[in-house]
Amino acid sequence: MQQFSVHKIGPEIKIAGIDLSFTNASLFMFISVGLILLFLFLGTREKKIIPDKIQLIAEMLYNFVAKMISDTAGSKAKPYFPFIFSLFMFVLLCNMVGMLPYSFTVTSHIIVTLIMALFIFIAVTVIGFYKHGFKYLSIFVPSGVPVVLLPLITIIEIISYLSRPVSLSVRLFANMMAGHTMLKVFGGFVISLGMLGGWLPLSFSVALTGLEILVAFLQAYVFAILTCIYLNDALNLHH
Amino acid sequence: MKRYLALILVLSTVCTNLIGAEAGMPQLDPKYWASQAFWLILVFSILYLSISKFYLPKIKKNLDDRESKIKEDLDEANKLKNLSEKKLKEYEIILENSKKEVIKILLESKVTLNKDIQNKKTSMEKEIESEMLKAQKEISEVKKNSINSINNISQEIASNIIEKISGDKLNESSIKAVIEDISKKNIGKYL
Repeated sequence: MQQFSVHKIGPEIKIAGIDLSFTNASLFMFISVGLILLFLFLGTREKKIIPDKIQLIAEMLYNFVAKMISDTAGSKAKPYFPFIFSLFMFVLLCNMVGMLPYSFTVTSHIIVTLIMALFIFIAVTVIGFYKHGFKYLSIFVPSGVPVVLLPLITIIEIISYLSRPVSLSVRLFANMMAGHTMLKVFGGFVISLGMLGGWLPLSFSVALTGLEILVAFLQAYVFAILTCIYLNDALNLHH
Repeated sequence: MKRYLALILVLSTVCTNLIGAEAGMPQLDPKYWASQAFWLILVFSILYLSISKFYLPKIKKNLDDRESKIKEDLDEANKLKNLSEKKLKEYEIILENSKKEVIKILLESKVTLNKDIQNKKTSMEKEIESEMLKAQKEISEVKKNSINSINNISQEIASNIIEKISGDKLNESSIKAVIEDISKKNIGKYL
């Protein structure tokens, strides 16, 4: 579990009695954001009609996120495109940077994912009430449900709505942590089984690394698309 | 309300502390939560601002530029295509006209040639006829002359023969009369 531990880098920074020291987590946040900005800088440096590779990747990512938003949340979600794009890129890069040995996975900390999820939850709720007023509460009352079941369904809907930030944050956090822990466990097996039996967990480790890279992308995608879906609920009141 | 919130916060902190310590999960140690939250918000704000203000508009502009450029190029290509089709049609019309003209010229020249040939033929025929007439006249003249000379020669021969046989000179005019008589009788055979 040492790979998840946070430690201070540099002097202690205390503002109003709260410890805001620069840590390895902060460092890897900066590294991820730096990589994103470097990538985007290289991708937009030259405006070519026929793009080079890095420009093509940047444009493909742009189109990927744009399509994701328009598919799930429609055209009304266009103003939130930069946010979704930043969110997707941030989670993706944090996950991917975390796959490097000796690095720190920012998204494997519940506090980080919870803050993002809470921000999304609160923002979506505010947007919903801002756009629809108290009619937004009608998302808790689905149409076409028998009257007998309505109180129960409404309670379930409220619980599911309130558990959104928890599910959103825990999903990402647990996936990242479980993957890294599993890699560590198999790595430990390689050492303990030695030259004779260590090959099997080593091959597992290799396969799991591939799987973890897939999971890293998938979780970023899931995080972004769930945000889109929540946004869709707030923007287009379907019930 | 505030008291409850504080209580919940304290309780959760204690709980997570206990659980975190028990499971050895650094994630549940709240020591650096505030720091992580602070730096996350800071870093994400930087990312969001630079992406929304700078990079996304750039990418979008580039994509739009490409689309409009492709559209422009396609329009241009269509225009050129239409133009070339028009030119092709014009060319075909010109070709057809010239073909028609060629046929016309061919026909005209044929007619004039025929006329010329006909004219030449008739004039030639006329000349030939006149030549023939002339020749016939000449021949008949020559024939007439030859008859006359034959008459003279035969008169001479007759007078000579008579002289030789009888030894006397006969009256020439009588001989001439006889010969003329004979030749008149037989002239139909030669003329």
